Order: sequence, then structure tokens, then C-alpha cells
Amino acid sequence: MFPILIDGVVQGLQLSLLAVGITLIYGLGGVLNLAHGQFAVMAGIATALLISNGVNVIVASFLGVLAAGVFGLVIDRSLLLAAYRYKGEERLLLGLVLTLGLSFVVDGYLNYRLPNVALTLRLPIPSLSVFGITIRAASVVMSLMAILVFLLLLIFLKGTLLGKAIRSIIQNEVGAELCGIRPARTRTFIVALSAVMAGLAGISQGLFSSLGTEMGVEFTILALIVAVVGGVRSINGTLVAGILLGIVNAYASYYIGAYLALIILLGTAMLTILIRPSGLLAYWT
Amino acid sequence: MSKRKFSASYVALLLVGLILALVPLATGGSPYYSRITTLMLIYTAYAVAFNMIFGHTKQLFLCLGALAGCSAYLSVVLTRTLALSPWITIPLGILLAGFLGGLFSYVSVRRGLGVIFLGVVTLAFSLIFYNLILGLREYTNGETGIVTKGLGVGILESSWSSYYVFLAVLMLSLLLYHFVMSSRMGVAFRALSDDELTAELAGIDVTSYKVFAAAIGSLLMGIVGSFYAYYNGLISPALFSLASVDIVVLITLSSGGMGTLLGPVLGGAVVAIIDELVRPFGQLNVLVYGALLIVLFAAFRQGLVSVLRKMVKFQIP
Repeated sequence: MFPILIDGVVQGLQLSLLAVGITLIYGLGGVLNLAHGQFAVMAGIATALLISNGVNVIVASFLGVLAAGVFGLVIDRSLLLAAYRYKGEERLLLGLVLTLGLSFVVDGYLNYRLPNVALTLRLPIPSLSVFGITIRAASVVMSLMAILVFLLLLIFLKGTLLGKAIRSIIQNEVGAELCGIRPARTRTFIVALSAVMAGLAGISQGLFSSLGTEMGVEFTILALIVAVVGGVRSINGTLVAGILLGIVNAYASYYIGAYLALIILLGTAMLTILIRPSGLLAYWT
Repeated sequence: MSKRKFSASYVALLLVGLILALVPLATGGSPYYSRITTLMLIYTAYAVAFNMIFGHTKQLFLCLGALAGCSAYLSVVLTRTLALSPWITIPLGILLAGFLGGLFSYVSVRRGLGVIFLGVVTLAFSLIFYNLILGLREYTNGETGIVTKGLGVGILESSWSSYYVFLAVLMLSLLLYHFVMSSRMGVAFRALSDDELTAELAGIDVTSYKVFAAAIGSLLMGIVGSFYAYYNGLISPALFSLASVDIVVLITLSSGGMGTLLGPVLGGAVVAIIDELVRPFGQLNVLVYGALLIVLFAAFRQGLVSVLRKMVKFQIP
């Protein structure tokens, strides 16, 4: 029972790391990024390629995450510009279709050119024992990293001027623009930052099992569910939803199987939209 | 609606029907071309259905494959396990697709969900469908699928008769589209696509028109999907996945021209040609389709029909 709970929390943290990016990009840019899981896979595959070329594991991971960030930056300045030209519903629609197309381009390219590349990272210590409970070292590393990233993100959003600007754009883009904030620049920064966080989540997948080129869709879907349940404009909500759904997923996978677990998660997302479109946990912010 | 445009539509439909009816003669008896041209008709009919749902009322359904698949699987599974005639189960499947499409639309309009949430709900539905097919292995055979040959739909087992069956389905759905668009309903749809709020204020019942469009489109998806299942001889989840239906249909409709009568037909022909060109590259076709979707939506949203309209003197419906 207890190990499943820990697995759930750890998986939940990973999901939150992915989903926060979707929340941020949607809140700031009004684009629901359906290629978010592909950012994670890009980082992982880049890392795997670097490692196979003899680069040190830590340096390779760092460069892999950076690669995802650069990719996010390029996408924001090229592909998403076509969506940013419009406002409101039109932008949402275009953003949805364009990122869907992007996810197919990335998946198609990776599966065509690098079908057998996968990222597997081995830690020097396989597991730790805390108060008599054995925990995988990968879980500890992943959790610490996720918590650190979230702390930094919250400090950044609450404590710095740029963070304030970002929150003001999320609340009201026109109002923020009138106060002299440039939404376009901030948006680019946020897309790159979200891609970096997705990249971290992707690489940490390599710690647990292995990250293959085909996992982008799965990541996107899980992150999307978490973002929707947490409220696509609420960062705190997304964090909590990630952990809750991670736990639900772990127990459901263990007792009733992975197919039904995914169906339960998807059903939760659908119900959330129907009952409270702003997110079940949105009142937290 | 001028009288001239009225007759232009009939002339165009007649021409399309004639040309498509003559295609089997032109390609000879080759089974290879027979399959390609039949698939072209199937995807064109899908696009006509999607044009109903999306072209005028802008309801982005990302569950087209799942709707077609629901109808197909319900019919095949019932036929196989209960030994019913497929001519009883096919209508059941079609009704299921229409009901689900109408339900999504009704809920989204009633709850005031925007394009994004309708997109996410329908995307979630198509994944649920896919996972259910894999999970209910004892009925659906999972990934392997079910052989549908010999289940009793003889007319869809010979390749030439099935070509004409799909042609009939396509022409009837084009006619239906034409009748809907040239009636009072068509006026309402045009008003809706311009500005929903204004349409509502002008006394148009937005909810019922949107639900009607979605339900009719989904019924058509169901018809084509279940016929496709019997034509293909094998039904598997891959036939109805997001990549093999939704993406292709989005490309078909947007390359041809949204909200036009001939758009889906032109788009269907274009996609059939592109599909032939990328076939040798195997996995690469996913990339090509993704890139096409991006280019079409970012830079070529008006579609072929409106380009042609600017080039020629006579009217293109």
C-alpha cells in the first residue's frame, strides 16, 4: 500500500512539472500546447544522443534541457506567431491546430530518423532505506528536483518584478500592455521556461525506466489532463492536481490495470470541464 | 441566394458525380487503383461530414475517428457476438455516432464551453474510445482487430460495387449539404459563422442549430465509418486513430475550402495524391501530414475553392 502511495506522489510531481508549462503557456499566450510532451521527449532524446557520443551524463542532461528550451523559444517566435496574430476564440482554435500539427511533425521526425534511440539513466545507488521503507534513489532525485523547481518558480512569480508582470498578463493582457509590459517578450520567455520544465520531466523519465521517441503523445495527454483538472489558469491548482492524479493513477494501475486507469483520468478531465470549466482546484489561487 | 448560384450547385454536383463515376473505367481493373480511389471517396465523405460540424458552426471535434469507430465497432461486435444481420446493427452504430456527436455539441453549447474545451473533451473522448477498444479485448480483439469479411455485407466485399456504394454515400451527403445550406437553415448557419451573439439576438436558436449540425455530421461519420469497416475486411483501432482520421480530415477540408460545397471533393483529391507521393517514405508520412496541417492553417486558410473562385469567371459553389 505505502510504496504505491510514494510512487503516486513521485509520478504526480513529474506530471505537475509537465503540466505547469501547459498552464503557463495557456494563461499567458492563450494557446493550449498540444505538443508539450514532445518538448519533454526532445530533451530526453537530445540527452541520449549526447551521452552516446561520450558526453558526461550531467553535462548531457543540462544540454538536453537547454535544447528543449531553445526549441520552445524557436517555436514561439515562428510557429506560434501565426496564432498570436489573432485574438480570442480564433487564437485558441489556431493554437490548438498548429500545436497538434507540430506534435505530429516532431513524432514523425523522431520515429523516422531515430527510431531506436532511448534514454536510460542509471544512478550509482539503486535505492535508499528511510525508516525501514525502501525508496528508489530515482524517486528521491526526481522529487527533490521537482520540489526545487516549483519553489524557484513560485518565488520567481511572487517575488520578482518579471513574475508580477507575468501574473498581470495572465489576469488581463490589455491592462498589462497599458502598464508598459510587453506581452510578446514575456510570452517567449514563458514558452522557453515551460519547455525547460517539460525537458526536466522528460529526462527524469529516463531515471525510472526509459524514455523512447514514441512517448510524446502519452506525456501530452497526461499533462493536459492534469492542467485541465487543476484549472488551466491556476498554477497552484495544477501542482496539487498533478500529485492527486498521480496517486489515483498509481492505485488504479495497481488494482485495476493501466487501461482503465487512463480511462478514469480522462473521465475525470471530461467531468471537470463539464462541472467546473475553470478547474476543480482553481479557487486555490 | 440567387437562382444562378442554385443551378451552379446542381451543375457542379452533376459534374462531380459523372467524373467520379467514370474513374473506375479510366483506371481499368487494377485492384490497387480501385482501393486508392475508394479510400479517396471515404475520406472525402468524412470531410463532407466534418464540414457540417466545423465548416459553419466552428465546433472543433477532435473525435472524428472515434465517432466513426464507435459506429463501426458497435455494428461489427453486435453482428459477430449476437449473430445479427449487419443491416440491423449498422443503423444502430450510426445512431450511436449521431447521438454522441449531438450530445457533445449540446453539452458544450449549454455549458458555454469555448472551442478549447470542446477540443479537449472530444480529444479525451477519442482516447477513451481507443483505450476501451484495447481494454475490452474479449469483444474487440484489441490491437489485432476483427476480420469483417463474410459477416454478411456482400455488396461491400467486391471492390467495384463498394466503390459505387461509397460514391452514392458521398453524392447523397453532398446533396444533403446543398439542401441544408440553401434552406432557411443555411441562412442561419451563415449568420452563426459570422457572429454567434448577433445571430442569437436576431432570433436564431443557436443551440438547436449547432446541435443539429453536429448530429447530422456525426451521423454521416457513422455511416462512412461502419461501411468502411466492412469494406476494409478488417477492423482495428488503427483505422480510426487520431492520426489516420482526424488529421487527414482536417487537411482535406482546409486544403479544399471550409464551408463550401466542392471544398471537400477537391481536398479529397489533393490528399489522395499527396498520400500516394509520401507512401514510399513509410513513417515519414506522419511528419508530412503534421507539416501540411501547420502550413494550411497558418498560411492557406481560405482553401483551393476560394483561390479558384478568384481565377475563373463562373461561380464555384
